[in-house]
Amino acid sequence: METILAYSIIGGILFGFFYALLGLGLNLVFGVLKMVNLAHGDFVMLGAYGAYVAYSTSHINPLITILVEIVAFGIVGMALYYGIVPRLLKSHDPEMLSLILFFGVSQAIEALATFAFGQNTQTMNPNVFGNHPLVIFGQQFQTAWWVSVLVSAVALALLYLFLYRSKLGRATRAVMGNREETAASGINVNRVSTIAFGIGLALAGIAGALTPFMLGGIYTTMGVGITVTSFAIIVIGALGNPLGTIIGGIVYGVAQFLMQSYLPSWSAMAPFVLLLIILLVRPGGILGKGARYA
Amino acid sequence: MDALLRAKGMNTGYDQLQILWDAALDVKAGERVVVLGSNGAGKTTLLKSLIGILPLWSGTIEFDGHSVDRLRTDGRVRRGMAYMSEVGIIADLSVEDNLRIGGYFSSRDALKSKMEAMFKEFPILRERRMEAAASLSGGQRKMLAAARALMGDPKLLMMDEPSAGLSPLLVTEILRLVKNLEGRNMAFLIAEQNIKFLEVATRVYVLDSGRIIFSGTVDELQTNDAIRRAYFGVDAV
Ligand SMILES: Nc1ncnc2c1ncn2[C@@H]1O[C@H](COP(=O)(O)OP(=O)(O)O)[C@@H](O)[C@H]1O
Ligand SMILES: [Mg+2]
Repeated sequence: METILAYSIIGGILFGFFYALLGLGLNLVFGVLKMVNLAHGDFVMLGAYGAYVAYSTSHINPLITILVEIVAFGIVGMALYYGIVPRLLKSHDPEMLSLILFFGVSQAIEALATFAFGQNTQTMNPNVFGNHPLVIFGQQFQTAWWVSVLVSAVALALLYLFLYRSKLGRATRAVMGNREETAASGINVNRVSTIAFGIGLALAGIAGALTPFMLGGIYTTMGVGITVTSFAIIVIGALGNPLGTIIGGIVYGVAQFLMQSYLPSWSAMAPFVLLLIILLVRPGGILGKGARYA
Repeated sequence: MDALLRAKGMNTGYDQLQILWDAALDVKAGERVVVLGSNGAGKTTLLKSLIGILPLWSGTIEFDGHSVDRLRTDGRVRRGMAYMSEVGIIADLSVEDNLRIGGYFSSRDALKSKMEAMFKEFPILRERRMEAAASLSGGQRKMLAAARALMGDPKLLMMDEPSAGLSPLLVTEILRLVKNLEGRNMAFLIAEQNIKFLEVATRVYVLDSGRIIFSGTVDELQTNDAIRRAYFGVDAV
């Protein structure tokens, strides 16, 4: 009994790093723009197919694909920001328009991906990283799983160093906190936001490449569900707060592991139950500033 | 002497709604100019267009001998303009990070010595340097806002209603601060509705419904009947 509990907690925390990574891309974009990127999950899906196609056609190690995707998704993100956002911010109702726009991007990606990759669910060989399972409390975690957790943790650590130890990262947090005050200090908030958007998509790409190992089969319509999960994670932690997302991811991971261990038939509900509880008890999220007044 | 800041024919507003009408003003080096105006007169709009957060529809702004109306805010800040908004702080960031954002364009060494100078001027900020700015009291927030704006070593500090929301005692503190900064050869442009700020003014503009309706010295202001009635009450002064 106690080992199952320990296993659930440790496994949940480890898995939480991946969930945090999933949420961070969305939260970074939300933080600088105050808009929800509804296409977030579709970019994760594209990242997953990138890893899948690279491996199944050319046996490229997903770790290599991740490096390529960081660059490619980063560039796409910055281009997307430049193409869309300045016009969006000038419109009369930027929030509403952004929902429609990102929803459109999401639908377009999904349609094109289905056209390109078909409707079948695809899986990746979990032995791409070799066979060195990790044993914790007598429970085995397969190689692909712990490698994905490790990559997630490294990505989180690098993002943390960027946000809290670099000048540009400090400016990014400042834009998240107050766009206008940051502009008043003479910082080019558009440039900072563009880079944050690029990093947000790069994180989606990394998470995507790990998705086949963390979430199982991949399919072109998985994006919407991933966006919902990511949104739940960042609301649990605190909207617009990057540290909150790490906590949100871990809480989410542990809750899911506990549900799977003790109430397996209910585990699909875990995210929504958890979200509901948080919204009732701490509407601003775990790291939020008390209640939010709508 | 030539003006440090010279703005002419400024027209601007929000969407189709014009707020500022043909506003002109100048500030010479070392001067302390107060723009007096009641709520909604357009003080914030004026300062935001001077620093470049709000684009001008028409008009020109020269600063330190250069035309800056085409520059983005960062370009104007680099030339020596600073803007302390009514909020003035980034609540989510620590006190220290607020200062670092204020001194964003300084070298590492300059940043360090500026920060030390600010901590000397405002010891409470040193005590609370790691805490979120949100945890500061109203008066402490104004100190942080001022320190943040001063981090860039500006030639001109534009303050938007520094007295807003402060008790009379704290307003006196702000006035003392402005006086203390006199020796720095820094000019001030202070937008206020509190006439106590005339104490520190070397020159005054009065802004009314987006138009500059008076320009002159404090003495001239106080002998102008129409203005006196509007801003000081009939019997005052
Ligand atoms: N973002 C905005 N959109 C539309 N109107 C605004 C906006 N900000 C201010 N105004 C209007 O512009 C006028 C001047 O406002 P403001 O410059 O803030 O005045 P002050 O700072 O002197 O109180 C007011 O009538 C106000 O309602
Ligand atoms: Mg104002």
